[in-house]
Amino acid sequence: MLDLIDALQSVADGVLFGATYALLGIGFTLIFGVMHKINLSYAAASIGAAYASLLLLAGVKAPPVLVFLMAAACGGVIGALVYFVAFRFIPLANPLATLMSTVGLLLLIDEIVVHATAGVPLNYPALFSDVVIRAGAFNLRGDLMFVFALGCVAMVLLWALLYRTRLGIATRAVSQQPVAAQLCGISIDGVNILTFVITGVLGGLAGAMTGAAIGVLSPLLSLPLTVKGLIVTVIGGLGSIPGAIVAGLLVGGIENVVQFFRGVSERDLYVMMLLFAFLVFRPGGLFAPAAGRD
Amino acid sequence: MLELRRLTKYFGGVRAVDGVDLTVAEGEILGLIGPNGSGKSTIINLICGLFPLTDGEVVFRGTDISTLPPHERVALGIARTFQNIRLFGQLTVWQNLWVAQKARGQGRGFLRGWLGGSRHDRVAIDKTLDFFDLGHKRDELAGNLAFGEQRRLEFARAFAAKPSLLLLDEPAAGMNAEEIDQLDARIRQLRREGVTIVLIEHHVELVMSVTDRIAVLNFGQKIAEGTPAEIQTNPLVREAYLGTQTAA
Repeated sequence: MLDLIDALQSVADGVLFGATYALLGIGFTLIFGVMHKINLSYAAASIGAAYASLLLLAGVKAPPVLVFLMAAACGGVIGALVYFVAFRFIPLANPLATLMSTVGLLLLIDEIVVHATAGVPLNYPALFSDVVIRAGAFNLRGDLMFVFALGCVAMVLLWALLYRTRLGIATRAVSQQPVAAQLCGISIDGVNILTFVITGVLGGLAGAMTGAAIGVLSPLLSLPLTVKGLIVTVIGGLGSIPGAIVAGLLVGGIENVVQFFRGVSERDLYVMMLLFAFLVFRPGGLFAPAAGRD
Repeated sequence: MLELRRLTKYFGGVRAVDGVDLTVAEGEILGLIGPNGSGKSTIINLICGLFPLTDGEVVFRGTDISTLPPHERVALGIARTFQNIRLFGQLTVWQNLWVAQKARGQGRGFLRGWLGGSRHDRVAIDKTLDFFDLGHKRDELAGNLAFGEQRRLEFARAFAAKPSLLLLDEPAAGMNAEEIDQLDARIRQLRREGVTIVLIEHHVELVMSVTDRIAVLNFGQKIAEGTPAEIQTNPLVREAYLGTQTAA
C-alpha cells in the first residue's frame, strides 16, 4: 500500500516537472512548424539562457522571480542570435545544412557555458521550495508546483498569442502556406525571427524551471534535455503544440515512476522504449494531425 | 500604372518569359491569354516577386520594384489569387482575410496592426465576406469549404489586402456557368471601385466580355495586343491556339 502511494507520488512529481519537457517540446515543434527545420541547439540555448540569467544577476541579490524573468529575456535574445547564426544565411533548401549548423551551435553554447563557469555546477534559486502542500497521503512540493504553474501560464500566453492575435494568425499562416502568406504581405523573415524569439523565451523559462527543480545548473544538462525535448516532440507529433504538452507531461511522469521502480540507471531506457513504440505504431505522434500542410 | 520592360525569365534553358513589354493603365482590365505553358503565370509570379528576374524591369507607379521582396510589393498595393488554390486551410474564413488585411496597414500602431485591429477593420472584413457571398461561412475552416467557395475565398483574400492592382490567375477554373456569371459581375464591380485588374483566363467568353484590352502570349513572347474584337480576328492568335489546342 505504501508502495502504491509512493509510486503515485513519483508520478505526480514527474508530471509537474514534465512541464519543462512540454515547453522544450513546444519550442522544437514551433520552429519545425514554421520553418520545417529541426533546431538541435534549442535545449542547449535554454540552459545557456538560465546560465546567462545567473551570471548577469551575479552581483545583485536578485529575487528568484527576477532571475526567472531574466532567463526568459536572455532566451529570447539567444533565440534571435541562433536564427541569424544558424538559419538566416544558410541555404534552407538543403535539409542537412541547417541541421549541422545547429549541431555546431549546440556544441558552441555548451563550450561557452563550460568556459564561463569552469564547468562547476551553479546553484539555481527556487521559489516556494520550503512549501509542501499535503493532499491526503500525497505531498506536493511547492517548488515543483511553481514550476508547473509557470509552465502552464507560459503555455496559455502562447496559445493566446498564436490563436487570438493577428501576429499569431500570421505565424500560423506562414506554417500552412508560406507562398500565399508572403503575398498577403507577411514577411517570412519577420515571422521566422519572431518564432525564434518566442521559442527562445519559452526555452529560457524551461531552463530556469529545470535549474529551479533540480537546484543546480550544470553543462551536463543540455544533452539529456536535447534528447528529451526531441523525444517529446516526436511523441507529441512534429508540429503539434497540444501533442508536445501532453507528451511532455507523459514523459515526465513515466520517467519518474520508472526511476522509482527500477532506479535512475534504467530510467532513460524505458523512455527510449516508449519512443520506439511510438515510432513503430504511431509515427505521426499522439494526435497525428488529420491534415498535413495543405 | 504597371509597366513591364523587357521582362525575361529563364528556368535553366527554358525561356519561360522572353522579353515581354507590357503596360497596364490605371483602372483598366487587361486580359492575359495564351496556350498552356506560354508564360502567363510566370509573368504574374514575376510581378509579385516570387522569383528573381533574369532580365528586365517591373515598374509600378513609376518606381522600379524589380528587387523588392513579395510582402513589400503587397504593401504597395499589388495583390493576387492563385490558379491552384493556396488558402490557409487551418484558419477560419474570417482569419484568412484578417491576415491579408494587415498587408497595407503601415503607419498604424503595432498593437492595432498586429494584436487586434480596429473595429473599422473588422467591419471591412465582414463587408468583403458578404460581397463574396461567404458571410455565412465566416467561422468555418477554409480547408473544409467546397471548391467554389474556396475560389471565392481566394478572390476575397486578395481583395482584403486593399490592392490597387489585382492579379487574377485563372479565377474561373473549375467553375460552372452560374459561378462564372457571378465572377464576371464581381470583377466589374471592383473595377467600378477603382481597382486595376490583370486577368489570366482560359474561359474565352469571360475574357472577351469583361476585359478592355487583351495581350496574347505564346512561348514566352507577346504575339498580339488589342481590344477583344481585334484579338478575335488576329491570325497570329488563331494560329497559336489552333497549333496547340485542337479540341478547344
